[in-house]
Amino acid sequence: MAEEKKGRAVATSAAASVPKFVRGNMQATLRAKEEGKKVAAAYIADGQDEIFRAMDIVPAWGESFSGVCAAKRDAEKYLQKAESDNFSRSLCTYATCEIGFDMMREELGGAMPEGAPWGGIARPDMMIGNGQLLCDPRFKWPQATQHYQRDVPVFVNNMYYPPWDPNGDHHEVEALYVKYCTEELRELVKFCEKICGKKMDWDRLAATVELSDKTWDLFIDTYALRKHIPTPMDTGDAMNTMVPLTFNLATQEAYDFYVALKAEIEQKIADGFAVANPEKYRVIWAAGLPSWFALGDFQYFNSKGVVFPVEVTYRGCEKIELLDLPKTNDPLEHIAWRWVRYWTHWYDAAKKRPGSTPKVERIIEYIEDYKCDGVVFHSAFSCRSWHAGIMQQAATLKKVYKDIPILIMEGDIVDISSYNEADTHNRIDAFIETLAAYKTRQG
Amino acid sequence: MTDIQTGNGLAAAEKLYTQYGSRARELKASGKKVIGYLSALGPVEIMTAAGVLPIRLKGNVSEAISKGDAYMETIVCPFVRNVFDAAVKGKYDFLDGIVMPHQCDSIDRTNETWSYTLNLPFWHFLNMPHAADDPSIAFTKEILRLLVKSLEKYTGNKITDEAIAKAVAAHNQNRKVMRDLYDLRKSNPPLISGVEMMKVCVAAMSLPVEESSALIESVIKEVKGRTPAAGDAKAKRIMIIGDQIDDVAVIEAIESTGAYLVMDDLSTGSKMYWQDVDATPDPLQGIAERYLRKLKIPTTFIGSAPTYEGILEERYGHMKNYVKDFKVDGAILFIYKYCDPYGFEVPAIKSYVEAAGAPVLYLEDEYSTSSLARVKTRIEAFLEMIA
Repeated sequence: MAEEKKGRAVATSAAASVPKFVRGNMQATLRAKEEGKKVAAAYIADGQDEIFRAMDIVPAWGESFSGVCAAKRDAEKYLQKAESDNFSRSLCTYATCEIGFDMMREELGGAMPEGAPWGGIARPDMMIGNGQLLCDPRFKWPQATQHYQRDVPVFVNNMYYPPWDPNGDHHEVEALYVKYCTEELRELVKFCEKICGKKMDWDRLAATVELSDKTWDLFIDTYALRKHIPTPMDTGDAMNTMVPLTFNLATQEAYDFYVALKAEIEQKIADGFAVANPEKYRVIWAAGLPSWFALGDFQYFNSKGVVFPVEVTYRGCEKIELLDLPKTNDPLEHIAWRWVRYWTHWYDAAKKRPGSTPKVERIIEYIEDYKCDGVVFHSAFSCRSWHAGIMQQAATLKKVYKDIPILIMEGDIVDISSYNEADTHNRIDAFIETLAAYKTRQG
Repeated sequence: MTDIQTGNGLAAAEKLYTQYGSRARELKASGKKVIGYLSALGPVEIMTAAGVLPIRLKGNVSEAISKGDAYMETIVCPFVRNVFDAAVKGKYDFLDGIVMPHQCDSIDRTNETWSYTLNLPFWHFLNMPHAADDPSIAFTKEILRLLVKSLEKYTGNKITDEAIAKAVAAHNQNRKVMRDLYDLRKSNPPLISGVEMMKVCVAAMSLPVEESSALIESVIKEVKGRTPAAGDAKAKRIMIIGDQIDDVAVIEAIESTGAYLVMDDLSTGSKMYWQDVDATPDPLQGIAERYLRKLKIPTTFIGSAPTYEGILEERYGHMKNYVKDFKVDGAILFIYKYCDPYGFEVPAIKSYVEAAGAPVLYLEDEYSTSSLARVKTRIEAFLEMIA
């Protein structure tokens, strides 16, 4: 195994408890067979969580497995395995890492490969992909790994939202998109019912949807506490505390986690705790998945007095009342409305600022709400989904908002081969100098 | 179009290939609106029905990206980057607008980079789904309807069902004549080389549909006059598989070794021409079904068969037919770097086509001639191996 790097020290005890959450999710897949539950290879932020939970389907999250491998700096053997069957290194490394693991497990007749991180994840009974306006791997990944697990059925549904058009009115096509998402979710339910051999309990689904809504609200309320100066929690922690929302939505455990996190942050504020002391600069993590093997870079920022009170990444929710969702008794239609409005609720703001885009409006909103002095993006070379278009966002932000300092870091999510700590820290140092000059200019 | 009228279809194709967009430029000067589109998902029938000239966008593999990188990340598909670079440099200054179909992340995630940078009078992002189930067909019909409305608003002209049906018939005829031309590659040696064929395919996607069909028919007539074909009947017959290969560079690398490129599964080649649009009471129904279900591209998920083997037949069965019908000895799977949709298909395509009887050389490369020498060496080694 490659040398395991000590992870980032976290500011909150809630963040410190997250590895247990992640390990618990992986172990749940291994226990599922004994408990008579079905396991689904699944991919985050697909709008499918409530359906899984309401049907007792245990999700085996591909991104989580690969992220753990990356954080433990133990992904290389899986990447190489995938590469041995011609999966290019330029493809999504979340996917190729997990596919390499699947290949090894199949070669062992389904037995767990030795040294699989945290016991590995179980062979799935089904694979559930998703077509979106981002992330082709969300449907190519299950299709690709079916080549090695040929008896495992794959289902792909499509969850779109109206694309941004500065000259159009997305409200005119919302209903079309909601109808389509609802029908696609219904197709997913039919597929799950077939594989599980049981019918959906619609009352239970409605209850899980309600729980998700409550969790979304609580998450935003909790994270809003980070507006406090000095901030009591930054993105380094948020890359951990996103786990319950992202991987355990629609469970009581996720909700309870944010109850505890909120209480902890409130206490930290009362105690005068600061992530960085003194807190010199506040910056936003404006886009991009982090290098899971280099989360310690957040600490490097903190050591220089730079904190991230807010991030776009993994903030996959919004206050429900802000979305103004139409009332419906159909939980699938509710999910669909929530999905469409979540992605489009920055459109109206973008229309009011000529030349702007919804992604940029979201960044501006956070800069202002969280009093940020600068912007950091991370561009991961193997992931087009979140990282293509960052240059456009950065340029638009400067053009329509103000000449705020921007750093675009480069690396990868899983593949450590292109990472150079010294170079990264040099770039961070240069950015901090820019921040200092900017703050001086701002008075 | 004098060359076509005088029966010199290949000369016309050569000119249109080397001066890509020249006919569009002429038509633009005469007052016609010209709309560019990316990928095989561009619904040319609707654009034709709107009275505009649809032209498939291509880049230039011989030209380094020099301006586009100031706006677009280098992790984006090299083809998309190259076309964008060409547009930024003004190579498509005759365009009135672009229809940007949602094929992949590299297109979808850079749509704003394109539209905000180029700032053309007409822009339409066509949100084609990745699924092909019944709700997706219904949805596709609706988003095609949005394109119709969008074009109507821009051109000021009503697009009737009759006009769409007429355009469907014209494009189906275009596909038929192109399939007739492909048939002339079945003989041994083939009547038309891979290099010539590439030039015809590229030229064809830059013309109004009737002119495109006339060009192809002219080439057919000319090529048929070559019978009996000269050449080495023992040379290896190669098929190339990939997305948008729109330059002869790689084809020349194959054929300069003495092999024949006799078939392709490219989005500029057979993918465009093998499947017609069915004439349906609502013409958008047939168009939706053609682009979503008949067109086999890796960004549309296919997997309704009950077994994996059946799914492979759904996805790649046409390639098995090509191997048999065109007597293919070997295949080259040519994938662009940073292409997730095709990249994740490589093991499945490779094993399927090899099981169909054609050894496969997999090449991952840029949309550029900068690495051509290396590519040629790999091809030569492959051809020696299957000799």
